[in-house]
Amino acid sequence: MVAEEETLITIDEVSKWYGEVQALKGISLEIERKDVVVICGPSGCGKSTTLRCINGLEEFEEGDVIVDNVSVRKVQGTKKIYKLRSKIGMVFQHFELYPHLTALENITLAPKKVFGMSKKKANEKGMELLERVGIPKQANQKPGELSGGQQQRVGIARAIAMEPQTILFDEPTSALDPEMIRDVLEVMADLAEGGLTMVVVTHEMGFAKEVANKIAFMEDGVIVEHEDVETFFKNPKSERAKEFVDRVLVHI
Amino acid sequence: MGLDMSVIPRNFNVLLGGFYTTLKLFVLALAGGLPLGIFLGLGRLSSRKWIYYPVSAYINFIRNVPLLMVIFWIYFALPIVTGHNIGRLSSAIIAFIVFEATYFGEIIRAGFQSVKKGELQAAYSTGLTYTQAVRYILIPIGLRRVIPSLMTQIIVIFQDTSLAYVIGLREFVRASTIVNAREIRSLEIFGFVAMVYLLICLVGSTISNRLEEKGE
Repeated sequence: MVAEEETLITIDEVSKWYGEVQALKGISLEIERKDVVVICGPSGCGKSTTLRCINGLEEFEEGDVIVDNVSVRKVQGTKKIYKLRSKIGMVFQHFELYPHLTALENITLAPKKVFGMSKKKANEKGMELLERVGIPKQANQKPGELSGGQQQRVGIARAIAMEPQTILFDEPTSALDPEMIRDVLEVMADLAEGGLTMVVVTHEMGFAKEVANKIAFMEDGVIVEHEDVETFFKNPKSERAKEFVDRVLVHI
Repeated sequence: MGLDMSVIPRNFNVLLGGFYTTLKLFVLALAGGLPLGIFLGLGRLSSRKWIYYPVSAYINFIRNVPLLMVIFWIYFALPIVTGHNIGRLSSAIIAFIVFEATYFGEIIRAGFQSVKKGELQAAYSTGLTYTQAVRYILIPIGLRRVIPSLMTQIIVIFQDTSLAYVIGLREFVRASTIVNAREIRSLEIFGFVAMVYLLICLVGSTISNRLEEKGE
């Protein structure tokens, strides 16, 4: 049971400023292996920023994030951050696929360049991943020729191609048409079932309720509440979270 | 007085020699200018002041000086400073690289700026290093976006090579004036030279248009 509880990522009192504005005010969060943590809250509350501090896409001024016993604060801005990032995948709101490469090439670029995987092996693996996310036929199409849902599934395949311990999802379905949201959420639920550790910024409370085991509610740069999903939905402690739950549950 | 186009075949070797020099100057100016332009473009986007300021100063300085002056400087001043005479062709090549790279640099910078920040972040998030992200994401996407402007600049360089005439380099235009001094057939000779430039630049524009369509 001890192995099950193994902490993968520790966010410890992280504060971040954009000039005069303090975006994060001492955020703390522990993510254990196989956790699916949903971070929710009103827009502009620092959800995405929190996510980006984990893999060093955003630098922060105070506190620390420990990933696999490595301090992000110490390696941010140095070459050591690259290795850390290769262990953490990321899926973006606007997909951010490389427009000049095919779906398959989008997936195989990092395994080839970071791991030095042969083209043949990377392609085989890339095709496997495209099958896993349900779009093997689109392998040789450019992102511009794919629908939003297909693009996001390529984005997910690109992230899991590096076999990361954890994947960060930054509002993965916010830019999608309603009928495509389900496809992407299904792929994500499938990954969660496979035991992948996930941190998901999303407004999809249905997904949070069914797939996540923990939920962090943020407001104005602070984690107001951090609970098991069941407790959070049944019995939110703070007023603000109560309001939020009342409002979003109407839509589920 | 009718046109006598036979002066062209009669002096074909001299003209061809000049054309060959023009071509050599053009190709080498491009081979040096484009890569240097990529570095200048990157330098203009650098957050490191010790890279950004020198690069910007260099670009702003050179772009505000006539190409003719740069050609003169390199040809006359460089031997005095270094104590080595490097000859006309090498001087011209250096002058063109120094000058054209600044134009390429500004075009390429615009291309790099058009690449979405998120696409680079995606590359970083998979563990790619800065150099890898530049090589596999920034340069391929950024350059594609500015192919039309780059091609226009490349065509301009081809035409500009004729300026090397002023330091006595026997390129295409200089070769034709030598032939003309002997034959006094200005209309035919310079007409022919103009047609050759026109034809090559038209081919260049066509290639540019094709690339542009393909890029879309």
